[in-house]
Amino acid sequence: MTMTNKVRPQRRDASGSTAHEPQRSARRISDLRFAWLLILPGVAMLLAVVLYPLVRSLSSAFFSESLLYPGREFVGLANIQAALGDDFLRLLWQTGIFTVGATVLPFVVGLGVALALNARLPGRSILRGAFLFPWLLPAVVVSFLWMWIFDASYGALNGLLEQLSLIDEPRAWLFDTATARGALIVAKSWNAFPWIMVMLLAALQTVPEDLHEAASLDGAGKVRRFWTVTWPHISGVAGIIILLEFIWNFQHFDLIFVMTGGGPAQTTQTLATALYDSAFRSYDLGQAGAIGILWMIVLLILVVVYVRFSERKEAN
Amino acid sequence: MAVGTETQLAPRRQAVARTHTRRRRFPLGPWAAVVGFGLFAFAPVYWLLITSITPDSLVYRYPVTFFPESVTFDNYRSVFTDPEIFGWLANSVIVSVITAVLSVVTSMYMGYSISKFRYRGRRTLLYFVLSSQMLPSALLLVTLYGVFSTFGLLNTYFVLIISFTTFTLPLCVWMLKGFFDNLPDDIIEASKIDGASNWRTLHAIVLPLAAPGLVASGLFAFMRGWNDFIFALTLTGPERQTLPPALVNRYIGEAATDWPELMAASVLVALPVAVAFVALQRHLVGGITAGAVKG
Repeated sequence: MTMTNKVRPQRRDASGSTAHEPQRSARRISDLRFAWLLILPGVAMLLAVVLYPLVRSLSSAFFSESLLYPGREFVGLANIQAALGDDFLRLLWQTGIFTVGATVLPFVVGLGVALALNARLPGRSILRGAFLFPWLLPAVVVSFLWMWIFDASYGALNGLLEQLSLIDEPRAWLFDTATARGALIVAKSWNAFPWIMVMLLAALQTVPEDLHEAASLDGAGKVRRFWTVTWPHISGVAGIIILLEFIWNFQHFDLIFVMTGGGPAQTTQTLATALYDSAFRSYDLGQAGAIGILWMIVLLILVVVYVRFSERKEAN
Repeated sequence: MAVGTETQLAPRRQAVARTHTRRRRFPLGPWAAVVGFGLFAFAPVYWLLITSITPDSLVYRYPVTFFPESVTFDNYRSVFTDPEIFGWLANSVIVSVITAVLSVVTSMYMGYSISKFRYRGRRTLLYFVLSSQMLPSALLLVTLYGVFSTFGLLNTYFVLIISFTTFTLPLCVWMLKGFFDNLPDDIIEASKIDGASNWRTLHAIVLPLAAPGLVASGLFAFMRGWNDFIFALTLTGPERQTLPPALVNRYIGEAATDWPELMAASVLVALPVAVAFVALQRHLVGGITAGAVKG
């Protein structure tokens, strides 16, 4: 992007005769300047707060660097080797399980609520607003609430399961290696499904009603109508939702950090919390940068796969 | 959104419904689903509110009582009369409001430029803006912490405001670009022919028309600042901390957590966003779904 770029108004004047040339070129320059002035503050902020930190953090991977003292020493690939050896596959696996779980579960719930609310129910817009509530809550409030629900002694979940006689004695859901990750996924899904619901509901409302009528006249049942009529209309939006949720969950930090802190026995540690721990608990910026690089590589692979997949789907 | 389609198709649908009386009068399936999912969605909210007004003696009791026999507002009283919490609340308000204003101003200029002017690199810019929200914040924090520390800026409102504003840009620019795209160019052309400058056209003609979009993106930016945890936790100390990290430090420690009071504090944190949402629901839902369905 250079200042020699040309700007043209979106709609060109039909009367572009040579007589108007001097005036039009004056307009052009001022339009260009104006357009550039408008994006200047935002671009400056993005460069300073996103691009520079990104490049700088990633480059830390090749240096021995600490938050505790100034200076950096080039160490080549040592940090990346260390990060790869240091339980990287386990971290990736744990991140993957959390990401998939926290994407699939709220998607299913969100789709269910969206389909239910897409029926002509009275008060449906009020219900839609009410269902959005869990999404509005700050992540720490969601964390507090579910920590309290999962509480080992007085938690609502233990109380409920005991009254239903499903368990004999209270369980420490968040401190048990078998249940901690599942508990996090449930909390995250509760927080995330309303956004998915609203997006899907908007998509559902683009499905032409007469296609449904036609399909049901042809004797298609509910399930068949969903797959042949509804799903093709919403699959584009569903793809975007799943991709975004996947990317967000892959880097999710708040709930995990507050609710389990990566425990018990590191089972809920993900790339995000491990990166944060490297930088701000071990003060090892090189290690943090190395995790960052590996992370970007994995994410890039995922995005490329997704793009390929959706391109092929479009081609068919 | 659906209203348009429904009215268009109404006569035909009625005709179909009359000949085929398959349609149940009472949509039992959807209602059952709404109730089921509703339990999942609202039981935790019930528990949040109930715990916050239950006396300690009833909260820490075994087995768990789901319907408390008595109610108290002591938990709210101790939250509201706590000068520390009040200070964090003030920090949250200052940071989030300034973030919202700054973010709306910056992103409306960017969105307008990208929507209404054609120049090379415009598309690249848009993709750069959008992809920046895919980056893990922990990664950016590593460098930001160092930079802000070098300039002696840690523990100021400035670092939070500038960070939050930047991170809300992708979404707000995207939303506002959508709004400006829908605005006919004729309006802008007409204003220019009348002799108004670009600057004047934007402020006097375009912005008033984009008001709903500005409101929605402002609310998003406010929520970003209000809800953030990791940046405020890392970049500020107790004096400039916003509520989320401050409450974590205060209540989630080694000692036993005071759950009823923490639930009351949580209600306090959730309330402003909930109120703003109820007031602006229509704009907000439009904003959330704007890009998705069209795109």
